[in-house]
Amino acid sequence: MSHKNSVILLVLIALSTPAWIPAQNSAKLNEELPAGAMQQKATTACLECHEARIIVQQRLSKAVWTKEVDKMVKWGAVVDANDRDALIDYLSGNFGPGQPEYSAPRSAQEKTTVRSTRRTSK
Amino acid sequence: MDSRRTFLKTLSGAAVGVAALAGWPAWAQTTEQSSSINLPGEDGMIVRSQRFLDLETSVEYFDSWLTPVSHFFVRNHMHEPVERNAGDWRLTVGGEVDKVSTFSLRELTQLPVHSVVNTLECAGNGRGFYRPQVPGIQWQKGAVGTARFSGPRLADILHRADVKSSGKHVMFRGLDEVPGKVPPFIRSIPIEKALDSDTLIATHMNGAPLTKHHGFPARALVPGWIGAASCKWLEEIKILESEFVGNFMSPGYRFPNQVVKPGDSVKPEDTHVVTGLNVKSVISGPLDGSSLKSGQVTVHGIAWAGEADIVKVEISIDGGSSWNPATLGREQSRYAWRLWTFSWNAKRGDYLIQSRATDSRGRAQPMEAAWNPSGYLYNAIDQVKIHVA
Repeated sequence: MSHKNSVILLVLIALSTPAWIPAQNSAKLNEELPAGAMQQKATTACLECHEARIIVQQRLSKAVWTKEVDKMVKWGAVVDANDRDALIDYLSGNFGPGQPEYSAPRSAQEKTTVRSTRRTSK
Repeated sequence: MDSRRTFLKTLSGAAVGVAALAGWPAWAQTTEQSSSINLPGEDGMIVRSQRFLDLETSVEYFDSWLTPVSHFFVRNHMHEPVERNAGDWRLTVGGEVDKVSTFSLRELTQLPVHSVVNTLECAGNGRGFYRPQVPGIQWQKGAVGTARFSGPRLADILHRADVKSSGKHVMFRGLDEVPGKVPPFIRSIPIEKALDSDTLIATHMNGAPLTKHHGFPARALVPGWIGAASCKWLEEIKILESEFVGNFMSPGYRFPNQVVKPGDSVKPEDTHVVTGLNVKSVISGPLDGSSLKSGQVTVHGIAWAGEADIVKVEISIDGGSSWNPATLGREQSRYAWRLWTFSWNAKRGDYLIQSRATDSRGRAQPMEAAWNPSGYLYNAIDQVKIHVA
């Protein structure tokens, strides 16, 4: 890309940023559980039934994570009794109340939408 | 490739990279770009979960009385049923009845059709705003939508089965694929609500057959109540002598009888089943964090109240010191939200805009929603911050 085109590109991007798009943290399309001693066991126990995003969006205290883990074990999650406490520590350490807010991704837009035509019922 | 096309291609590719770096939301980009999730039939939805599917509507889409299906939130507790031939589907009606009945889809659609415009809201809509946070899908403002649902009245189906006088509750079982030892998604509603002339077995939504995500071929439609009452992929209706006992009736979908200190636990005996929706409003524009030019600004949004009617929506542009009446939209139906607008000559400055709805039962949105351990029925006064330049 030429220098001229680069300049035009940056100007266009700056001008085309819609004011109505709120600032967000970058959203991940594919979530994985974070690194740690319990990553693999948590992946096996939890992601058999649902994706990591359901865990990653939580911001829960250790007491609440404890209830969740025990409920999920009752519902079929395979967690060795010796791993229970470490799993709770892993989840509450990574997804506790102090962690930054989670930002969810969006699905693709199916077609160009014209907002100004949306104000009438169908 | 000519230089212009090369430039446009470069622009497109570069824009994706810059967008990602700048933290643009994925939906602001096009389908060709790799930073949004391709979900056919779903348009720019906030993806709370893909497996199982939970999609939230972004507030800027709340600008029509009827929500297009492609923008209608999706709440799945479990995996969707595997694809099957609609011709093989059967709905059975049994329990406390004189005649156990079975309906094919064809037989169901031959019954008199009734339509209800209903605002459907997940009980957990707004859960993500409670502090301390509670477990569950962290919905914000968009697990709600309004559609015209059509299908036979549940009452007509129950009359064909001759419900016994002992039948007091109506149980719905869906075809959700249950993972592990998770309890099946079964709930019940009282017979009085089941016999209401607006309670349906819906086969259509906004004039088209239900999509798979919304419960094809048939779902319950319990108007004015939380979404969980309107069981999707319905396969069985059973008349019971008493309320169904199961996870999704207790401890699921229950609300404390008394005010709870945030973070406290509540004994099951101190709770009741969540049924009707709260009074609530949401500002759909201007969007939070937006920057506008001074002059005429129209604040707009939606307001609903379950089985009650919205009587007024008030807007504050000064952080709650004073409130001004919004104009309610003409379109209305018993269980449907009202659109509203409020126009205001905005001068330069930073503003906190708030909306507060009041319903026909005298309920008004509170400054703070009533915290509860499952994060249900969030309905605090809505607010957005904007900058006027």
